[in-house]
Amino acid sequence: MSIHSKIIATKQTIIPIDVLSQEEDVVQIKEKMNKKIRHLFKGSLAIREVDAGSSNAEEQELTALANTFYDSERFGIHFVASPRHADMLMVTGPVSRNMARALKKTYEATPEPKIVVAVGDGAIDGGIFKGSYGIVGGVHEVIPVHFQIPGDPPSAKQILISLLSIIESLDRKGAKK
Amino acid sequence: MSSTLFTILLSFFSVGALLSLFWSQKKTISNLCSNLFAIAGSLTGIILGAFILVTQEVTSLIFVTGLPLFSLSLRFDMLAGYFMLIIGLIGLASSLFGMGYMRQYFKLYNIGLFGFFYNLFLLSLFLVVTASNGLYFLFVWEIMSLTSFFLVIFEHKHHDTIKAGILYFIMTHVGTMFLLAALLLLYGATHTFDFWQIRVLAGTIPDWLKDTVFVFALLGFGTKAGIIPLHIWLPKAHSAAPSHVSALMSGVMIKMGIFMLFRLFLDIFPNIPLWWGIVVLIIGACSSLLGVLYALAEHDLKRLLAYHSIENIGIILLGLGSSMIFFSLQQPVLAALAALAGLFHTLNHAVFKSLLFLGAGSVISQTGTRNLEKYGGLIKVMPYTALFFLVGAVAISGLPPLNGFASEWLTFQSLFAGVQDPRIGLRSLFLFAGGALALTGGLAAACFVKAFGITFLARPRSTESKEAKESSWMLVVPMGFLAVLCVAIGFGAGNVVAILEQVVAQFTLFRPSEIVAHEGSTVVIQNGFASMNMPILILTLIAVTSLVFLLTRWVSRKQKVVRDVTWDGGYTGLLPFMEITATAFSRSLVLIFKGLFQPTQQKKLEYIDANIRYFTKTHEINFATKNVFEVYLYQPLLAVSIMLTKKVKQIQGGNLNAYILYIFLTLIGLFFWARYF
Repeated sequence: MSIHSKIIATKQTIIPIDVLSQEEDVVQIKEKMNKKIRHLFKGSLAIREVDAGSSNAEEQELTALANTFYDSERFGIHFVASPRHADMLMVTGPVSRNMARALKKTYEATPEPKIVVAVGDGAIDGGIFKGSYGIVGGVHEVIPVHFQIPGDPPSAKQILISLLSIIESLDRKGAKK
Repeated sequence: MSSTLFTILLSFFSVGALLSLFWSQKKTISNLCSNLFAIAGSLTGIILGAFILVTQEVTSLIFVTGLPLFSLSLRFDMLAGYFMLIIGLIGLASSLFGMGYMRQYFKLYNIGLFGFFYNLFLLSLFLVVTASNGLYFLFVWEIMSLTSFFLVIFEHKHHDTIKAGILYFIMTHVGTMFLLAALLLLYGATHTFDFWQIRVLAGTIPDWLKDTVFVFALLGFGTKAGIIPLHIWLPKAHSAAPSHVSALMSGVMIKMGIFMLFRLFLDIFPNIPLWWGIVVLIIGACSSLLGVLYALAEHDLKRLLAYHSIENIGIILLGLGSSMIFFSLQQPVLAALAALAGLFHTLNHAVFKSLLFLGAGSVISQTGTRNLEKYGGLIKVMPYTALFFLVGAVAISGLPPLNGFASEWLTFQSLFAGVQDPRIGLRSLFLFAGGALALTGGLAAACFVKAFGITFLARPRSTESKEAKESSWMLVVPMGFLAVLCVAIGFGAGNVVAILEQVVAQFTLFRPSEIVAHEGSTVVIQNGFASMNMPILILTLIAVTSLVFLLTRWVSRKQKVVRDVTWDGGYTGLLPFMEITATAFSRSLVLIFKGLFQPTQQKKLEYIDANIRYFTKTHEINFATKNVFEVYLYQPLLAVSIMLTKKVKQIQGGNLNAYILYIFLTLIGLFFWARYF
């Protein structure tokens, strides 16, 4: 299947606002997350982050995931250095023309099965850069996107909650099958 | 029977040489003639060699000429038969290869002349191993040197070739000078030039004379064999000659030096003093180690192979040297074992080195360059050449189960036997030699990873290697023949050892009953101190490899394999210049042996804006090594000789009056001398 037909065939799910505004403690998220990740990914979810042209706001928040407060490593979430090692691609920012090809190559280099998550408004439809001559558009214009996390930028906690909901929805899908 | 076969061989080569010269206007016919007759002659050589080895009969032929002291005396014994077999095998492969390889020269050079010298060269090799009269030997030795010189300068339109040829010419004649001196000294002591009479009279030669002869012979034959530091002609001449000639020179011609060293020190001179063996052993260890180190730093494919010849000559000399030491220590069994190891390695080196040179020739004929950095990716377009080159590379690295392993194992065993000696000095010498051999083996493997990897793997680095095609069957078949020979000798190592026992047994020094080194296909050392069975080894290797293969297949049976392009970090294109180069591969090793190579590194940077030194336009690094022997040994020698000639110039000023004065003074002096003395 070519990448274009894949893009058309893939349905994008925007994480709803009520999920993002949940008032859950990090410790509670941790409990649920741990269970799911152990069950679905054998204890380790490897994420490759691709900056396709963002304003670096999303990067700040993603970096915050690794700090002592959130410490995503304890849930089994790692950021890895190569798409070859990744289960999930996190793409931030509107896709600039210069990065479109690299993004596509990254997608192709990630082993199946893979989940693509677009983080931030820019990654969903271009955000404040929408319509600019320098960008191609949202991530889904270039590669198939499964989930979109809105916000400019979404906070670290929101990203964490969204990840939990993504994993839960994956689990539901798996259970249905 | 031997003489008949030898006459046939002689006539084949002579007819080939003359016909090739006769047809020199018709290039195709000339090429066909010279090589077909060379093939026929080589086949006769193989038959003759095998015949002598099987029947074990020694034949002497003497044709007395009108000239005093000069007689055409030939002698066919086991050692000569063994070397004839080697010459025949390599000559056969090279000649067939030459038939296809010479085509690229049709429009450029005189093929007829080449065929003439080529046939004469092969003939002279056969003559050298059978000669048993000193003067006659020097005569055929000189034919060999001269014909090979003309073969080296065949591509005479390149300036470098002529330079390499002249260097070879000078070096080989310096060697011949020493040989002449050695033979004349022997004549002075024994009043004969016949090797076998010298052998009988050897006991009467005074010790100091024997020592001088030893040094001269070592220098003379060592120059031909390419021992360090007399090796400087070898890489240059081997790389300048056409590839099948390089194969012959490296595989066979430099072995003539080895042949004569074996003959002189193990056959002709009995009761050799201990230090002879020690000197040969040290030279062997140094040659093998330095040869392989220089090969590592080289990125001209043929020069790399030539340096490996020096290395392998060193390994052969390790066998010869330890044999000489054991003989002086009255341990004939070990001496026979070491000599056997050296002779075995001679055969093996001839086979795999000519295979590698032919492989290099096949690559060069397609790409037109000898520079390793311009190759790459040739395995896809030249699969057969790559396969056969790989076989040669594995063999020369001494990896089981090929032939190089068998002979290096034997050499190791003889060195280990030396380590058991109670004298601390000798023991440490053998330890040093063993260590040198081990390091040599490892470095040789590293070097051939480089040679094979850079040449055949990755992507092409130049348009020439991108557009290369597989060579014609005439180039591929001889390589295949030699590759099969590599495997066969490895498999039948026990049988080869059995033949070599007989060869060694015919040396004066050993009694046949003392040598037992094989039981069936198993090679046994020192009554079970160590043993090796190549067929079992090979079968084990095959079994283990297939077991591991099947096991990995079974373990990963559920995994899906996806083939995809290399992950390049999202970069838009991986280009061939990003691949590791030959220089980069060997850089770390060159830096380890900094004292020997004396590497120089030059960086050249060009900035887009010289004031803001952030962005470079070009970045160039020059990494070069210094040839220590040329700089510190040969150049001072040259400077001294030039200085001396300048001194002579003061006497010989071209002034006629001064010359008349010299004549007058000499005359007066002679008068006085005649009157008073």
